[in-house]
Amino acid sequence: MKYTPRKITENVNISKTSPLREFFLLTTGILGTLIIIYLALGLLLDLVVPRISYEMEDYLSSLFEYAYRNEEQHSPAVEELQNLLDKLVSIGGFDERKYKIHLMRSPVVNAMAIPGGHIVVFSGLLEKLKSENELAMILGHELGHFQNRDHLRGLGRGLVLMFLASATLGIDSSVSKILQSTLITTEMKFSRKQELQSDEWGLELLEKMYGHAGGATDFFIEMSKEDKHSRAAYFFATHPYPEDRIKALQSLIKDRNIPVLETKPLDQALRSVEVEQK
Amino acid sequence: MIDLIIFISLIALGYFAGSRAEKQHYRSINKREEEFLYMPALTLKNVTNQGEIAQSKLVTGSVVISVDYFKRILAGLRAIVGGRVKSYETLLDRARREAVLRMKEQVRSADMILNLRIETSSISKGRRRKSVGTVEVLAYGTAIKLKK
Repeated sequence: MKYTPRKITENVNISKTSPLREFFLLTTGILGTLIIIYLALGLLLDLVVPRISYEMEDYLSSLFEYAYRNEEQHSPAVEELQNLLDKLVSIGGFDERKYKIHLMRSPVVNAMAIPGGHIVVFSGLLEKLKSENELAMILGHELGHFQNRDHLRGLGRGLVLMFLASATLGIDSSVSKILQSTLITTEMKFSRKQELQSDEWGLELLEKMYGHAGGATDFFIEMSKEDKHSRAAYFFATHPYPEDRIKALQSLIKDRNIPVLETKPLDQALRSVEVEQK
Repeated sequence: MIDLIIFISLIALGYFAGSRAEKQHYRSINKREEEFLYMPALTLKNVTNQGEIAQSKLVTGSVVISVDYFKRILAGLRAIVGGRVKSYETLLDRARREAVLRMKEQVRSADMILNLRIETSSISKGRRRKSVGTVEVLAYGTAIKLKK
């Protein structure tokens, strides 16, 4: 047999596809899948949130302990706040779980609802309030967030994964723990709709407690006059749309024919709370 | 944002520089392979009826080639979904052929190369993310010269 050298023209070892085309297909495919998963998690959130037990919520609340690590202990102001909250809770019929007030000495003008039934009130907020009715409105608003479970929704899409992991693997599994540690969100910002719904809860509680809607909008009117770069900036960061909320509240008061009467002044213990750190 | 700009520029640079280098390399490989058609490289250990062997010698040729950034990213994407990593095919093809050519270039007067072996190793040192997509291909065999 004679060997005749011949040039090889066809190369079977390399594919004849364009790498650019492959790159395009792969990136669109992978990104598309990720986007679909992200959107699906958003839709699942609404399904999952009402099914989260109080037990799991309490478990999640350990994530937020940092939010009230410097809270004021057992002062007359804290007791007064807790009293007012307890009254609102029993009037609203939310007794199935415990709600706890945490008072923070800080110039921040805000209050927030934290998973586990914790309501954090900053002393800067108390300084801005003129009447007990305003305070009741704000606490009622925060209770409203708990009723709508907005504080859980605010945790976002990670919550769905957390729910699925703890439902299938158990709440103490390592996967659940890893997911839990990724859940920490720095700020919980609620949507316009969520704020308005909570305002409605607050208004209902206010009316049930005092028989009139005096003081319902006072705080929001005060805040809408504030400069958004002032000490109250934190309020605007977590509670936007004060003007919208005033309008919505006023029309609710009008539609329901709720009388607006004289407000009750703030308790002495709350008026004398110092804003700055000791 | 600045990271994204750097990333996209590197991909573009990798794509253009990489395809240019590849095209040039293939042109050179094709030309030199034609030149060396007279010298077959076989995997046989010995040949009968070709005459008496006058001289034999161990010859090696090795080459180190890297893929460009674009193809490395492409391979990374491919690794997510699986399948043939086409972007590395040309890298290995070029490396194997170049190694054989370098081997032949050392013994231009040989009649053939017997017992050809080709070995590949990846040179991916360093941390996971910063590793380089580089291969070394070593071709070796026995060059023989027949008695005329």
